[in-house]
Amino acid sequence: MAINFEQVNFSYGAGTTLAQPILHDINVTIPDGQVTAIIGQTGSGKSTFIQHLNGLLKPTTGRVVIDDFVLTSDLKEKNLTSLRARVGMVFQFPENQLFANTVLEDVMYAPINFGYAKADAEFAAKTALKQVNVSEELWDKSPFELSGGQMRRVAMAGTLASNPDIIVLDEPAAGLDPKGQKELLAIVRGLKEAGKLVVFISHQMDHVIAVADHVIVMHDGGVVAEGTPVEIFNKDLVWFKTVALDLPKAGQFAEQLRQKGHILRHRPLLLTELATMLNEEKRHE
Amino acid sequence: MVKAIKIDNLKYSYDERSLFSDFNLDIDAGQWVALVGHNGSGKSTLAKLILGLLVAEQGDIDVFDERLTVETVHHVRSKIGMVFQNPDNQFVGATVADDVAFGLENIQVESSEMPQKIDNALTIVGMQEFKNREPHTLSGGQKQRVALASVLALQPKIIILDEATAMLDPDGRATVMETLQKLKKQFGKELTLVTITHDMDEATLADRVVVINDGQKILDGTPAEVFSQRKALHENGLELPFANELAFHLNEKPNKYMDERELIQWLSTLNK
Repeated sequence: MAINFEQVNFSYGAGTTLAQPILHDINVTIPDGQVTAIIGQTGSGKSTFIQHLNGLLKPTTGRVVIDDFVLTSDLKEKNLTSLRARVGMVFQFPENQLFANTVLEDVMYAPINFGYAKADAEFAAKTALKQVNVSEELWDKSPFELSGGQMRRVAMAGTLASNPDIIVLDEPAAGLDPKGQKELLAIVRGLKEAGKLVVFISHQMDHVIAVADHVIVMHDGGVVAEGTPVEIFNKDLVWFKTVALDLPKAGQFAEQLRQKGHILRHRPLLLTELATMLNEEKRHE
Repeated sequence: MVKAIKIDNLKYSYDERSLFSDFNLDIDAGQWVALVGHNGSGKSTLAKLILGLLVAEQGDIDVFDERLTVETVHHVRSKIGMVFQNPDNQFVGATVADDVAFGLENIQVESSEMPQKIDNALTIVGMQEFKNREPHTLSGGQKQRVALASVLALQPKIIILDEATAMLDPDGRATVMETLQKLKKQFGKELTLVTITHDMDEATLADRVVVINDGQKILDGTPAEVFSQRKALHENGLELPFANELAFHLNEKPNKYMDERELIQWLSTLNK
């Protein structure tokens, strides 16, 4: 159930004089059963890229193959329903889209729209709420009475309730406090363990290290690198400057140490790894 | 010492649940205070109480010795500038310059004085060359700097930033924080800054860090004092700044609080 981008180009206003090319020549595979992070500076095309995963946008040329579904420019809107049921999308700050009177009704909205009977929708909604750790005493409350982190998770449950195989998240942990961020990353890991293919956009390199198996790097509307987080974050510093990305904090710290003449054996990616390296150095003196 | 903000015995309930009871906080004029706490800890509610957007059940709030009441609320607000979390929710003008002008028009500034005031404010935040741009073409960090310029143009004595960097990418966040440091340098004691945040690396830049949870002051002190309380921070859903967490994990630790720059310096001389 992998996802393949084959020669994908995308322009806004394609075929008009105002055509604005956004994505160029994208050939990339998003592996099944893994968590893939899409990284790149603001304006690099990440959001446009993920909107091709459930047909919110269609490639201007080329095709996106999602399992056995082929997305091309000439596909009719009515033929996208089966794709939308399979690919769940959680936008940035999804709590802004909450609207119903109670948490449970809000989460039931999507499955009902996908044609579930009311009882089935309720069961699906409850399953999804448990999946994102929203405790039962909140289910009959107004979603607007919840904390930021809780609202975020309720909004995610709305997408998970129709049980999509593929889950796409745009900056899922943005704006949350440290505890809320940790909870969210744990949920992402849980989705993978439940057999989902997860794709997420992040500007937080420490989150990428924490949950991603695979990383796709975008720059100026193209994919400029892909690999494991360890492969990507061990690239040359000059390369990071050209794609305008940061290292994880531990790597940044090690770089600053290097500039002061303190050179470590290799680049640490986690705080604990950096601490261990510094502690071992002391032992060997 | 002149108090910019003095909160006495504040009581406020939300949804029949007591959020603040018997809450006290004094902020000295010219201080940079980081108000930190997890989502839902009450820190944004506190900002709204200070601005008179919410009304306390009991207690007093004084802003530069002026008691906040129904009669004084407009005058009190004129001393405070506020920047909110979402950069897209605070634009009214068709261009960046129009947006800064909006606030000036509201306080009846002579139109002949406006261009100068707009230019000054935009220059301080490094957005002068964008003055004819439409706000929606700006990045998040640029939008927040324009929001800051709109506030600065009104020459408030206090600026409160309510999670103003939470929705920004790392680059946008860095430019806003740099701008705040520059402001503090330029205005010194003339400007009181309150930054509400849950990003501890941001909080290290302040003179004083106040940790609140469930409407209670949990910790209050210099960054050095507050960030020596790792356990208390964890219990309140917060973390140490990166450098302090790293120092905690070292076998041989520095014997005093160090910020990131100091720790790097210390580690690099240690090995020579």
